[in-house]
Amino acid sequence: MTGRPLIIAWKELVQLRRDRLTLAMMVALPLLQLLLFGYAINNDVRHMPTLVYDQDDSRASRELASTLAATGTYDLVGDVRNYDEIDRALRGGRARVALVIPPRYASDLARGQTARLQLIVDGSDPQTVAAATNGASSLVLARANAITLARLRAVGPALATEPLTIEPNTWYNPELKTAVYIVPGLVGVILTMTMVMLTSMALARERERGTLEQLIVSPVRPVELIVGKILPYVVIGYVQMTLILAAGVFVFDVSLVGSLPLLYALAFLFIAANLALGLFFSTLAKTQQQAMQMSMFFLLPNILLSGFMFPFEAMPRAAQFLAQLLPLTHFLRIVRGITLKGAHADDVASEVVWLCAILVALVALSSLRFRKKIA
Amino acid sequence: MTAPEPVIVTDRLSRRFGPLVAVRDVSLTVNRGEIFGVLGPNGAGKSTTIRMLCGILDPTGGSGRVVGYDIARDAERIKERIGYMTQRFSLYEDLTVAENLRFYAGIYGVPRAARRARVSETMQRAGLEGRRDQIAGTLSGGWKQRVALASATIHRPPLLFLDEPTAGVDPVSRRDFWDEIYRLSAEGTTVLMTTHYMDEAARCHRLAFIFRGVLLDTGTPEEVVARRRLRAVELEVADASQGIEAAALLRAAPEVEEVEHYGNLLRAAVRGGADPADIVRRVLEPRGLTASDVREVRITVEDAFVSMVRDQERDEAAQAKRGHAA
Repeated sequence: MTGRPLIIAWKELVQLRRDRLTLAMMVALPLLQLLLFGYAINNDVRHMPTLVYDQDDSRASRELASTLAATGTYDLVGDVRNYDEIDRALRGGRARVALVIPPRYASDLARGQTARLQLIVDGSDPQTVAAATNGASSLVLARANAITLARLRAVGPALATEPLTIEPNTWYNPELKTAVYIVPGLVGVILTMTMVMLTSMALARERERGTLEQLIVSPVRPVELIVGKILPYVVIGYVQMTLILAAGVFVFDVSLVGSLPLLYALAFLFIAANLALGLFFSTLAKTQQQAMQMSMFFLLPNILLSGFMFPFEAMPRAAQFLAQLLPLTHFLRIVRGITLKGAHADDVASEVVWLCAILVALVALSSLRFRKKIA
Repeated sequence: MTAPEPVIVTDRLSRRFGPLVAVRDVSLTVNRGEIFGVLGPNGAGKSTTIRMLCGILDPTGGSGRVVGYDIARDAERIKERIGYMTQRFSLYEDLTVAENLRFYAGIYGVPRAARRARVSETMQRAGLEGRRDQIAGTLSGGWKQRVALASATIHRPPLLFLDEPTAGVDPVSRRDFWDEIYRLSAEGTTVLMTTHYMDEAARCHRLAFIFRGVLLDTGTPEEVVARRRLRAVELEVADASQGIEAAALLRAAPEVEEVEHYGNLLRAAVRGGADPADIVRRVLEPRGLTASDVREVRITVEDAFVSMVRDQERDEAAQAKRGHAA
């Protein structure tokens, strides 16, 4: 073993130190992304502007509307007098939901007849529909249950028990905070972005400036060159990961449940896979710009398919298959498993196998592409 | 005089790029300590030849041995024993002079313990101490060339390849550069360089002329010049307009290979060893032009090269004609 990988790594670090912009980008990018994604992405739908079309206008109907508002999911923004007004408000975006209370609501209830409430929901954004209907439905169901029990109790107290109950119990992220889910995932996304881009540009830059020919004509072996090139970026990858996790803990109150040494050890596989991919891109790109474009092009399917933003289970079969080939998909399961659920090595074994397989394939591919010849 | 010790030997070395033959059947020998110049216009196949000799481009035909190793099979062995410098200088522009040298010393396997001493020796030799901590990208062309040469020789290779090393460098730097090349050669380093500066070609120990991928001639500058059997004269006519007329007349004469003219001053090279003064007078006097101050001058490497290229073009034209007739 000669010291060549070390001298190449030393050279990369000196170059990086002089390239202030890239250096700043590598620190600023993770933090900026963290703040953007951490604060902006929120899947909890709350405070939906809601109209009330109260045709009964009784104490009972007004009380129903205010219980709805008390859930926090609905903000009452006004009363209307007919369906046309609802239509206009939904079209104009002033309201997303409308509750229609029928005439004689209070008297129907009092006489023991069924009162038919109606909930109108704007379906143009499907993500909000479930939240909008679930909130009101469970509220009304609970209330209906209570009324039924009260009526049964009046007939015979022995009958007045609920036949079936369910108590939902959410583990690991009981408050369902999106940031808790997003921050560990962001570790994977940021690493994918910077690792692939930096390595692909590092080699493309040598090609562009003619220094690659000088290296090819030297006794450097491809493996020495590749190891020397990626070594500094592995270190940078770990620095970025630490930054994001620290910010997650201190800014977003993400509690890291599992073993950090395990996470850092497994992250090596993921970082190495991304670096190998970057090197593979650099064997295809002739200029730094092309390398940059390829990295960006690669990032998009990662964000969309990996499960970072949309649930893996919701994707069609073909997309799931494609997603399995992305290192990020597997790393996300590892990082979320370890940080949020305290997963052990054997819990994520199949993801580790996947990552290893992808890494081996990528290293083989880029070594085949990178030969020490110029034509 | 010791027996010549061949460092580069090629036998019918060829390289195709698809249908294009960049180098065709080049056979040459370069001996230890020689400064060997490869001459030819742009695109003649000079760089392709050098790249094959360095082991970074596989030949598609023929064979070659460099510092005792086969260029197709033992390319990596060759790479440890050569220095390589191109006209792009291939420096890391964001590293300092000293950092560039330290990097190449590491890459070329100078042992860690010896590295620091080697870098400062090399800088001293190249007169770079004053620029030690300057960022390479801010150096002028001449200084970059010095750093590039110092980088390419930091591991003291027995063989040095220089691909148009003086392109775009000022005359003073070129002279310093040649001093260093002679010094390396005197120390036993073999140097193979490509150039299209004819004055530089004359300073090489031996030359090879390459044109359209074909080796036209090799030998010392004196040998290749003598083989062309050219003679040349300089002469003056009355004024610049006569100069234009005289140049046209001389160019039309069959024995005349080449005419250069600057105002009323002309230089004509003729083929076949005939007395050029006689030919000039025979062409000009019937037209009432008087040549004064006619004196025979030395034939240059450039004359030889131009004449060789003309011959080649005449051959190809004749072949094409025969091809048409048949």
